[in-house]
Amino acid sequence: MPKPNLSAHPTEVVKPHDFDQFWQEIMEEVDSIPLNASIELNPLRSSEEVEVFDVKYDSLDGLRIAGWYCLPRERTKTLPARVFYPGYISEPTLPKSHAAQGYATFGAAPRGKLRSNGAFNPGYPGLLTHNINDRDHYGYKGFYIDAVRVIDFLLEQPEVDSDRIGIQGSSQGGALTLVVSALRQQVRAASAGAPYLAGVVDAFKLTRTYPYEEINDYLGIHPEHRSAIVDTWNYYDCFNFAERIQCPIIVYIGLQDDVCPPETAYPLMERIGTSNKKLYEYEGHGHDANHHEHDHVVDAFFDNQLKQAGS
Amino acid sequence: MKPKDFDQFWAGIESDLNSVVPEPELKALSIRSKPQFTLYGLQLSSVKGYRIFAYYSVPRGEGPFPVIYHLPNYGSVVHIPPFEERCKYICVALCHRGQRLSDEPFAAAYPGLLTLGIEAAESYIYRDIAGDCLSVMDFLKSREEVDGQRICLLGGELALWTAARRSEAAALHYTPALHYNSLKRASQASNYPLEEFNDHLRGSASAQMSVEKTLSYFEPVHHAPHVQIPTMLVEDSVGFCDALVEAFTGPVDRVPLQHSSYRDGVRQANWIADKLDNGRPILPAHWC
Repeated sequence: MPKPNLSAHPTEVVKPHDFDQFWQEIMEEVDSIPLNASIELNPLRSSEEVEVFDVKYDSLDGLRIAGWYCLPRERTKTLPARVFYPGYISEPTLPKSHAAQGYATFGAAPRGKLRSNGAFNPGYPGLLTHNINDRDHYGYKGFYIDAVRVIDFLLEQPEVDSDRIGIQGSSQGGALTLVVSALRQQVRAASAGAPYLAGVVDAFKLTRTYPYEEINDYLGIHPEHRSAIVDTWNYYDCFNFAERIQCPIIVYIGLQDDVCPPETAYPLMERIGTSNKKLYEYEGHGHDANHHEHDHVVDAFFDNQLKQAGS
Repeated sequence: MKPKDFDQFWAGIESDLNSVVPEPELKALSIRSKPQFTLYGLQLSSVKGYRIFAYYSVPRGEGPFPVIYHLPNYGSVVHIPPFEERCKYICVALCHRGQRLSDEPFAAAYPGLLTLGIEAAESYIYRDIAGDCLSVMDFLKSREEVDGQRICLLGGELALWTAARRSEAAALHYTPALHYNSLKRASQASNYPLEEFNDHLRGSASAQMSVEKTLSYFEPVHHAPHVQIPTMLVEDSVGFCDALVEAFTGPVDRVPLQHSSYRDGVRQANWIADKLDNGRPILPAHWC
């Protein structure tokens, strides 16, 4: 059971009346941009079991975005797919070992990550407050969309079963999992660990740990921008995407997480649209969210949702 | 096996460092500073004249202060040290060459860095990275606000190598990482970053001997005998460090990794506080 003081924490997140319109207009623009995907075999990273490809595709603002795409060499029919979204400071995953288990896998590198940072590179710290006063030019706008475009890429690949796409990540990867499963209904299963960017205007008051501390840093020299920051974040907060999520989803948290406060996970779970959702709470764990032991739960979840669905 | 010219190799790094004028520059980062501390961006010259960056945070008030020196993990981004630590200690977080903020002119690739130049010890990128780690230690020794008797090194092999070459450090908190028993562990793994070794050897099977030789200059077992300061050795699993623990000449607290950033973090903070000021650490609210 959650600690009462964690699960009862009030939220100041508000859903703007034009939230849906804001994102509908963005998605209409996104859908008009051809992917122009390039797929190049990377012999150095490929093995006897798995082929690794360097992928690039077009996204918002004319940016070219990179990713790692892995396929099992032995494939006789269409494959289920798993997408791995990166944490805030993490390198994009090169998910070779999961490809060896029979998945088409994709390690996403949204703008600002290495190999996708030629034209956009706000740094770390930096991304969280990049143009934070302006919802139309906020750094996370393109960042979210780069993550969405991974699904569009997979839907174009003949070896991928478009009805069996799952997505996952922890921390910022958990946030991207929530946003993408809300914006692309083709996602069939999702796993989010220690979700970041959920209840942001609550979170930066609950912790002094980066990345949220970036907002406290910013407010320290621009206190007059507080309401503008709150306004922007109401358009980007995972709380406000959550009701659109209709696929099965699991979320896991550490109850001593000093990076992404666990208090924010409970209102998130309440808002998630599907009834097929489960929260795993781990006492004695911080931002690791017990992934060391929980990873097998995630693997079993995707095997159940994606592999058995195709058998 | 320890190379015969092991000491000569590491003396070469020292010699390279001695030939460089560090020219440290400190610039206050006002946006990241708080009433409790001032955060500076530190730049200085390291091996081959490369300018490296480090975060350098100094508590307000009268020093000298004890120091936690964060040696970087494997990845492009180095975090600013935790708020709570910075309230009490001078905190240094190095971005070695190739990592962000030290990525001009060389930006490291991930994967890629772990095997860059590995064909020979002299060309292996970690030779120069080790020099970066030592150069920041030398900077610390030059500072009036630093209590030179109370410097704790924190990290993986970069911290171990630094402790082995700079005996004036007071304590070492060491979690074996990518250069401990590397090839054997890589042969049993398929995930990155260790998979980088497999990729390299798969593409060039004849490289096995040269890679083994290069890594032998960086193998923790060969550095541990030079570490005489109190060490906390965080062991990934039972027996993981059997060969290593015997090699240390100083006192070693051998503890298991608990795979919990909370439990491991609290234990680490308590141990460092005990070694630096016989005190209690300031912990994040969610850890109290």
